[in-house]
Amino acid sequence: MMSLFWIVIRQLAEIEAMAASKKVITREEWEKKLNDVKIRKEDMNKLVMNFLVTEGYVDAAEKFQMESGTEPDIDLATITDRMAVKKAVQCGNVEDAIEKVNDLNPEILDTNPQLFFHLQQQRFIELIRNGKVEEALEFAQEELAPRGEENQSFLEELERTVALLAFEDVSNCPVGGLLDISQRLKTASEVNAAILTSQSREKDPKLPSLLKMLLWAQNQLDEKAVYPRINDLSTAMLEDPAV
Amino acid sequence: MTTNTTAATTNNTAINSSSKYGNQDPGSYFIDVARQYSSPVGGETELEPTELNTVKSSGGFLVVSIDKLSVKYTSVNLHGHDVGVIQADRPAPEKRLVYYFEIYVKNAGAKGQIAIGFTNHAFKMRRQPGWEANSYGYHGDDGNLYRGPGTGEAFGPTFTTNDTVGAGINYTSQEFFFTKNGALVGAVYKDMKGLLFPTVAVHSQNEEIEVNFGKKPFAFDLKEYERQETMKQQMKVDKISLPPIVSYGLVRSYLLHNGYEETLNAFDVASKSTIPPMYIAQENGSGEQDIAYALAQRKALRQLIRNGEIDSALTKLREWYPQIVQVEKSATCFLLHSQKFIELVRAGALEEAVHYGRIELAKFFKLPGFDDLVQDCVALLAYEKPHQCSVGYLLEESQREIVADAVNAMILLTGPNVKDAQSCLRSHLERLIRQLTVCCLERRSLNGGQGEAFHLHGALKLHSGKRAKCSHL
Repeated sequence: MMSLFWIVIRQLAEIEAMAASKKVITREEWEKKLNDVKIRKEDMNKLVMNFLVTEGYVDAAEKFQMESGTEPDIDLATITDRMAVKKAVQCGNVEDAIEKVNDLNPEILDTNPQLFFHLQQQRFIELIRNGKVEEALEFAQEELAPRGEENQSFLEELERTVALLAFEDVSNCPVGGLLDISQRLKTASEVNAAILTSQSREKDPKLPSLLKMLLWAQNQLDEKAVYPRINDLSTAMLEDPAV
Repeated sequence: MTTNTTAATTNNTAINSSSKYGNQDPGSYFIDVARQYSSPVGGETELEPTELNTVKSSGGFLVVSIDKLSVKYTSVNLHGHDVGVIQADRPAPEKRLVYYFEIYVKNAGAKGQIAIGFTNHAFKMRRQPGWEANSYGYHGDDGNLYRGPGTGEAFGPTFTTNDTVGAGINYTSQEFFFTKNGALVGAVYKDMKGLLFPTVAVHSQNEEIEVNFGKKPFAFDLKEYERQETMKQQMKVDKISLPPIVSYGLVRSYLLHNGYEETLNAFDVASKSTIPPMYIAQENGSGEQDIAYALAQRKALRQLIRNGEIDSALTKLREWYPQIVQVEKSATCFLLHSQKFIELVRAGALEEAVHYGRIELAKFFKLPGFDDLVQDCVALLAYEKPHQCSVGYLLEESQREIVADAVNAMILLTGPNVKDAQSCLRSHLERLIRQLTVCCLERRSLNGGQGEAFHLHGALKLHSGKRAKCSHL
């Protein structure tokens, strides 16, 4: 009992010492610093444009260009093509998607065997989903198996995928997850990223990484200072320092 | 006429903020924004070392070339206190990720006792870098690293005639690093605070080296090193997870805040058809009611101002929100009138501009907070090619945007549920970017002031920089 008491006392002392060594920045001081930051509206607009373009909001990007005067740093037509490929995968039209990717730039699949494998895998999954077992079997032998032989890391995935053939009720089998919508989304975002990379663009918009950086920077600063934080990104409300 | 009230505060007494703009015309915030544009956007510029400091060197033992970029040991060394040591003219800049410089060994001389490193301002200019406290040096004759008094420690290969050797400071990891012929040799923790000078030393007859402070391309791929350092940092940051669709919601609220109505509609339509459908922001959450206020009016006014149709904008404002343009000497009125003046200059209607200026701008002339901007406006008249003059910034698109932003904010302030003036002045997104900027700055200043700061302008340019490099290769 007594020892527990001392542990608590020691912990309190430690917390106090830590707090004492931290710089305390009041809300007023902090707001002054916030006001002193120089941010240009056109840079904010560029950040938003980057999000719209990378996430594929073509129409919104077009309107935003008109309403804000922000030039997209990419030909908007290429977004339309990219989104058409993504959508095709999302809807399960994998064959169509592969054709579209090759129309865009045949090098994308040539130089990216993993992506090609995942697309073929998705094609197989769609065949199973549609109950075309014979076609799926043929496809697995002709298209999937050779890929698996090419690359050890594909083999495991291949076996897991082909296992779908073994079950009558595929939606309720151990590998049933492959039939989930999330598998399509995963493949779709992989194609999306590959197309962006082929256009020498970053595959992710800048905004989320800046938001992560904000959370990280706040965590880092917590070690040295007590200051008004923003805890809820969606409201961006400044919260009073807890002293 | 009352001078202590403004359009917004007469209309809405609930606005009460502890901020700088709480007790005055909230529109004056945009006057400050406009003022920022009179100077170019800069990250931080620090002077870099460009040559060797010939005044403060161990003059008797070495000869410095006329361009102050190479040194030669001309005497015969006799002891440990006749080192030919020389510092750069300026300390290594600190407000960045990395500082780096190189030497090329033209002649290793009699003994090849060449050293490269960093020293502080108090360094004794008769000794090798690394032999004294507050100095670090990588030495050519034994490949050892010396730090402070004491013996050297095994570090890397030796270096001699025809080798290029580099020394750098990584401010993020707080390390010195050294290179030889373009390859990294190693890094060592930097337990020195304060400004550091790039330093080189020669210590036997005929030793001769050339220093490269970056005027010529480096043997070491510094850009790649910096990219990898940034990646390391990025990987730590990437581990943090974000609440789902927070980016999406912030973009949406940005569009809403600024009255980019058509973009918003297209955005909403698209996000309904995504797979799976994007969630649509709840109507009463996150203060969206406030910023959804008067969307159509704000959109229309922004469009007019962006087109330079200031008269029409003023007419609409008088009709829809008379309280905003009621006080003649308010910041919003000033911005609108000065923009009208600017539009006249742009159209070449100088006489009309003069006339308009006399009626609408003259009253701001002696008014504190406005006088400098009035002067800038009027100065436009003085130039034959106003676009290219020092106040040419006024003719840029950004100026219209500021006026549009001011009007937009003033309308938001007239909304029924406004609790906080700040939330009308800045979008959520902008508040977050400001918070990020200040956190990074504050963290740096608590860490001895070294390293990179965050600047949105620079962060957005990073990518295009990378692409530029690709096309360069």
